[in-house]
Amino acid sequence: MTQTLVLVGDALWKILLAALVLGAGLPVLFSAGVRAMAFGAGGDAETDHAPGHPAGTVLAAVCFAVVVAAVALGITFIVAGGFGKALSFEHVYPTVVDQ
Amino acid sequence: METATVILVLVVVVALSFDVTNGFHDTANAMATSIATGALKPTTAVALSGILNLVGAFLSVEVALTVTNAVVKIQDSDGSPKPELLQGGGSALLLIVLAGLVGAIAWNLLTWLLGLPSSSSHALFGGLIGATVAGLGWAGVNWNGDGTTIDGVVGKVVIPAVASPVLACVVATVGTWLVHRVVSGVSQRFTDQGFRWGQIGSASLVSLAHGTNDAQKTMGVITLGLIASGHWSDTGSVPFWVKAACALAIASGTYLGGWRIIRTLGKGLIEITPPQGMSAETSSGAVILISSHLGFALSTTHVTTGSVLGAGVGKPGATVRWRVAGRMVVAWVITIPAAGLVGALTWWIGHALGGGVAGALVISLLLLAFAVAVVRHSHESPVHADNVNDEWDATAGAERTPATV
Repeated sequence: MTQTLVLVGDALWKILLAALVLGAGLPVLFSAGVRAMAFGAGGDAETDHAPGHPAGTVLAAVCFAVVVAAVALGITFIVAGGFGKALSFEHVYPTVVDQ
Repeated sequence: METATVILVLVVVVALSFDVTNGFHDTANAMATSIATGALKPTTAVALSGILNLVGAFLSVEVALTVTNAVVKIQDSDGSPKPELLQGGGSALLLIVLAGLVGAIAWNLLTWLLGLPSSSSHALFGGLIGATVAGLGWAGVNWNGDGTTIDGVVGKVVIPAVASPVLACVVATVGTWLVHRVVSGVSQRFTDQGFRWGQIGSASLVSLAHGTNDAQKTMGVITLGLIASGHWSDTGSVPFWVKAACALAIASGTYLGGWRIIRTLGKGLIEITPPQGMSAETSSGAVILISSHLGFALSTTHVTTGSVLGAGVGKPGATVRWRVAGRMVVAWVITIPAAGLVGALTWWIGHALGGGVAGALVISLLLLAFAVAVVRHSHESPVHADNVNDEWDATAGAERTPATV
């Protein structure tokens, strides 16, 4: 029983940290993209109706690209798991390896 | 046909029915927030979720044949049934599985009628525990494993049920709060437009993950029945028709919608906005995928509900209907005992009738009668694609909360 609690506590900490990075980090990145896009569009997109800044649109594209890449990784992770493979980050960039 | 074969057919049919209830019980987990904010039309949302569940179910190649081992001792660790349960063509084991499934379906139908999201895995585990206690006694239950790994009712059911909503709630609260800080100063129409896409993406990911996680439980149960009755011998894989049937069952269940639960999760807990919806679904997706990666399976339902609550807590000025949340928590606590009680009663009825074909037929027919009664009752206050987003306080008498400022 105590042993189980230790094991669970151990797992929960890891899940909480990783989930905070991905589960809260990605929405924040996405909203940064929305904010940057509004900054780029200007006018009615922002409450202060400032004129548009082209740099904002570029920044937005970067934010959305990272989010899309993370989602693609998520899907790869699910699909790879289905085929008995796993995602590995040993080369820094993700690769699909045997489990 | 032999006795065991007839019972096996009933087990397969009832297991697939369970898979359907599993589907419509959980559509809300992925799609309730997108439906509530109007990011997706209700019918589009359930169709998308159904397709993704179908794809996800086919992706579950490594099926958990040992799914029942988490809570009961009717299988060996390699997935083969306990030899002592195989007398009479495995009908002893089949009756336990059948009664367990009946308990699970009964609880899923009842909670659907009440519009309460409750975990289908817990219902299945509860039913199996009840039927096992009735059939084999208390010693047949795997309470805590052998202590070296996270296992048993305590490790795989009770602790995750307490921990997962809290975990998801924390992640969604942090996410929602930060998101609102980041987009302050952007006009609401602009954010709502942008976050629609984020919502659709994150909800799709949750649907896919659900298909891979949940359909395989039924695949495992059916294959266990096939092995017990001598129709399958490979403990390393499931027959293709089992996989296809389960995938279709969970997908069609998802497509049915379970509108009552979608309504509670999308409109009942909080008045949800697109940024909140996206934060909630991303939190759910992250917690589910990460925890299953670490071998710590959490209930999608508990995670999603925690996330939606967190999205309400994290948005400055938002109201959370804690009464509705309280009703859900009560439902979660009694899921296992309630499904267990029905599972046990069902086993006793089947056993009293000889434990053979007659018993199995009677308990299956009892379940059918209960299902018909529940569906009839649901017609008194129908919830469907057209009224799923109606104002919560205007329709819900019991949950009516005072107007908040």
